[in-house]
Amino acid sequence: MTSSKTSSTRPSKTIPNWIIFALIAVSVVGLADSSYLTAKHYLGSPINCSIFNGCEAVTASPYSVVLGVPVALWGVSYYFFFLLLAILYVDSKNEKTLEFTARFSIVGIVASAWFLFLQIFIIKALCLYCLISAVSSTTLFILGLTVLKRKNVSFLQNNLRDYFRIF
Amino acid sequence: MEERQITKRERRELKRQEKLEQQENGAKSRLIKRFLLWALVLAGTAGLIFGMVKLGGSEPEQSAILINAVSPSDWTKGNKEAKVVLVEYSDFQCPACAYYQPLFKKLSEEFGDKITFAYRHFPLRQHQNARLAAYAAEAAGRQNKFWEMHDLIFENQNRWENRGDAENIFTGYARTLGLDIDEFKNGLSSKEIKDKVENDYQSGIRSNVNATPTVFLNGEKIKVPPNYDELQNIINEALKNNS
Repeated sequence: MTSSKTSSTRPSKTIPNWIIFALIAVSVVGLADSSYLTAKHYLGSPINCSIFNGCEAVTASPYSVVLGVPVALWGVSYYFFFLLLAILYVDSKNEKTLEFTARFSIVGIVASAWFLFLQIFIIKALCLYCLISAVSSTTLFILGLTVLKRKNVSFLQNNLRDYFRIF
Repeated sequence: MEERQITKRERRELKRQEKLEQQENGAKSRLIKRFLLWALVLAGTAGLIFGMVKLGGSEPEQSAILINAVSPSDWTKGNKEAKVVLVEYSDFQCPACAYYQPLFKKLSEEFGDKITFAYRHFPLRQHQNARLAAYAAEAAGRQNKFWEMHDLIFENQNRWENRGDAENIFTGYARTLGLDIDEFKNGLSSKEIKDKVENDYQSGIRSNVNATPTVFLNGEKIKVPPNYDELQNIINEALKNNS
């Protein structure tokens, strides 16, 4: 009891499995969703307005392509990379990997916030699959914050290089 | 004594070897586990993406056949006797229809009398100004400026789509086109025009139209490609087959 030195140093709590499981599950959902949108972008039936689901104004808008790549494909890359990071942690159990993954989730929520803003105020139409993606990346961000909080590390780093440490 | 010692040493050696083997086995099984993990993840991801691509790429395309042939009451461009007849069911407030408008315009200009292009109204419920826009085009049509109004309405779609005063905007277009404004306004509220738009809509419903733009080529619904070249090819093909 008296020899418990760990309490004086920063307690490095382990992250419960359910968080890791949730990170993986949600990025799989995001990956499925954005793959579907990408396929629709390249192969789907041409744009139209429908009696049943309103307009495909969002996926047909000029904002649906960034740097020549459809937003949906950016989404695929993001979720795929996220999934790989989570699996990398499962494989290596390296705490730095998990911290990087947790911080990386901000990319998704910033992008989602921007596209939500575009949908509501500029395009004035919402697209269901884009909303699913927004929910996924928000969930990933919240999970990321939970991870950092449990590990007692701050989101911000003193050194720029520390943000990019995966190992 | 000696024998016992040897066996002791041997035993120790045996134990050491066993331990080493166990460690080796452990490392091996860990490696296999890691390999399986990554293989599973990659295969799963590939399968998932493949499935989603199949799902997203092959939207069930409902077939539809045009019930009502082109009649004198339809707005048409080109030659009414042409062998290639295009009928578009369209909604002035639909962004996709506005996207296709210049493509169809170019098509009519290029193919001229070789084809007929007919426009029918299919104002969707979710578009608050779609019907009014259809009335405006019809009202301009009474003064023989249907297509001119049709173009103006589509080209300026984002200026009136969400406005409460769209009627004023359309009246402005009527003025631009040099129409008799009183007559135009009468047209906007005339029952005849309202009935015509509703008739177009109902004929669309009968022909299984459920989205705009829906285009029928010689009575059969076609998938309209989003670029002019492919559209041109479809028409050329139809001309070849119907000559």
